[in-house]
Amino acid sequence: MTMLDSNRLSAAHPAPGGVAVRVSAVHKSYGSVQAVAGVSFEVGRGEVFGLLGPNGAGKTTTVEMLEGLRSPDSGVLEVLGIDVARNPDALKQRVGVTLQTAELYPKLTVVEVLNLFRSFYRRSLPTEQLIEFLDLGERRNAQTRQLSGGQRQRLAVALALVNDPEVIFLDEPTTGLDPAARRSLWDLVQKLQGQGKTILLTTHYMEEAEVLCDRLAIMDHGRILALGTVKELVEDRFKDRSVRFDRIAALGEDQLRGLAGVESVKHDDGETVLYTQDVSGTIGGLFAATEALGVEPGNLGIRRPSLEDLFLDLTGRALRD
Amino acid sequence: MQALVQLSIANIRSFVRDRAALFWTLLFPLIFVVLFGLIFQGSNPSIKLAWVDLDGSSGPTGSGTLRAAFASVKGVVLTDGDLAASTELMKTGKVDAILEVPKGYGVAVAAALTPGAPPAAPTRLTVFTDPTQAATGGIVQQVVGGVLGAVNLGGRAPIVEAQPATIQTQNLSIISYLVPSILGMALMQLGVFAAIPLVADREKKILKRLNATPLHRWQLVGSNIVIRLIIGIIQTIIIVGVGTVLFGMQMIGSLFVLAGLVVLGALAFVSLGYVIASFAPTEEAANGMTSAVQFPLMFLSGTFFVIDQMPQPLQVVARFLPLTYLSDALRQVMVGGTAFSPLWFCFAVLVGWTVVCFGISARFFKWQ
Repeated sequence: MTMLDSNRLSAAHPAPGGVAVRVSAVHKSYGSVQAVAGVSFEVGRGEVFGLLGPNGAGKTTTVEMLEGLRSPDSGVLEVLGIDVARNPDALKQRVGVTLQTAELYPKLTVVEVLNLFRSFYRRSLPTEQLIEFLDLGERRNAQTRQLSGGQRQRLAVALALVNDPEVIFLDEPTTGLDPAARRSLWDLVQKLQGQGKTILLTTHYMEEAEVLCDRLAIMDHGRILALGTVKELVEDRFKDRSVRFDRIAALGEDQLRGLAGVESVKHDDGETVLYTQDVSGTIGGLFAATEALGVEPGNLGIRRPSLEDLFLDLTGRALRD
Repeated sequence: MQALVQLSIANIRSFVRDRAALFWTLLFPLIFVVLFGLIFQGSNPSIKLAWVDLDGSSGPTGSGTLRAAFASVKGVVLTDGDLAASTELMKTGKVDAILEVPKGYGVAVAAALTPGAPPAAPTRLTVFTDPTQAATGGIVQQVVGGVLGAVNLGGRAPIVEAQPATIQTQNLSIISYLVPSILGMALMQLGVFAAIPLVADREKKILKRLNATPLHRWQLVGSNIVIRLIIGIIQTIIIVGVGTVLFGMQMIGSLFVLAGLVVLGALAFVSLGYVIASFAPTEEAANGMTSAVQFPLMFLSGTFFVIDQMPQPLQVVARFLPLTYLSDALRQVMVGGTAFSPLWFCFAVLVGWTVVCFGISARFFKWQ
């Protein structure tokens, strides 16, 4: 797992290059369902910022409001200093977008779709350059319905790049892709970051957030639960390690909490997770307790905390693919 | 503008690569024309009429002169007999219709033509046609209308009961009735089928993706309409071309008026397609709604059955269907067919229909 350069950015605020995206106190409801309930964050220029959370967390609604596809009930959204609600046309010239579903003109070829999208913008990159950058050369004359999932997603990214945008929104860019295609899309995002693009992506993959994002916001039920770099969020927040084993019904909650060094106890899908600052003390205590019961802790393991632990800690449930 | 052109090209490419769309819009109407053309070619150009003369008068105003006028119409074959024998002939398909001249015809016409004669009720020429042979019935009506029109020119008021006598009576063929009808049907299908790709694009989130670009909605709608109009003109060229070249249909009207009518007709039904797209949640629903709309239009608007010969309740329905007016106008403009409604009224109905439907779509269409 690639870890981020922890010195690159500070925590709650974006890099000094200026703010590319500003979201403040945004609310959005659909009927009685509150999709986004008071979200605020900023993304610096050149930063890769992730919104991490399960389906229904409000990530897509937030991004679509930034893209000018939905209007907020209240709050302000600014991209590149443009008020999205007031001047959506100016905004759309300067940003690139991929939607969650990437089905586009099934009967047109890759080149035809790219040329079509280029015609929508005042300024556009040459088709050849886009095809080369996204490694679509071999499929240039294939109709889009004949593309594989990964190729289709690369085309979707190519369409997001036709106007050489300063800010790129990628909504769940790797959902449904196989590991190789996911990896190649990650390389692409990193290449774009190398070119100085600002990228805001949503994902429900921990690993993706860890690999790609300079900073991220963890969202659930329309709110941001935590915001910062992965290092800050995980390592600085948890001084604890986690001790995990298959759940033993006979071990009571109080008994677990009473073990040496244990700070907190979580249960997740048949597994018990003990957070501790004293790993050896905790394990010693655990063995003593299980021996007294005549059982052994199955699949015992010790882990440094990860985003997954953070998510579990914040929401009380696991984030599954 | 560049975007509008590119989007239209993209839509045309998608259309051309969609075999089903190509079949239904271009080939299907053509199959109708060829099929009907071949079916009626054998009986063409002869229209067989039984002549039942209860008057038997001669001279310039006599029934004999009227008979000669009918006999001189190209393609008309007359068989003399009494009503009972003629009915038998008609039942066995040996004649298409029966014309019965009433007793006292010659005297009445002569009286009406006398200078200074007081206006009298017109004399009735009874025309028996078979309502199940609608296309033939339409032709017979046109022949009768044409001949009586010539007779009536001699007097100030109509002497013999007739329909408006504005038709061309030479070279009449069933194809002359059917080609404009099929063109109207094809334009109707072209228009209402516009709903399906639009709803599909919405379902596939293509409309949403386009909405994230600087493309304006009017450009999207504009390109959609432009390509439908282009296809409509191609349809017209194919259908009129095949009708004229293969089956000897005679275009008598102005191509300019025809082009205007084709554009207006396509617009009227594209607007209906947009109404369907406004209320169809999925592509499947759009398919169903399109069929539900197109079949009644196809069968109740005088495409295959002459409206005057339909049962009274259905005639009332036909009065409310836009295709009735498009087909009627196309027949009037292309082959000088008998008017069901005046041409200006047909244009007005189509314009009104278009405005109302676009208004409804503008109000209810959802982009995502």
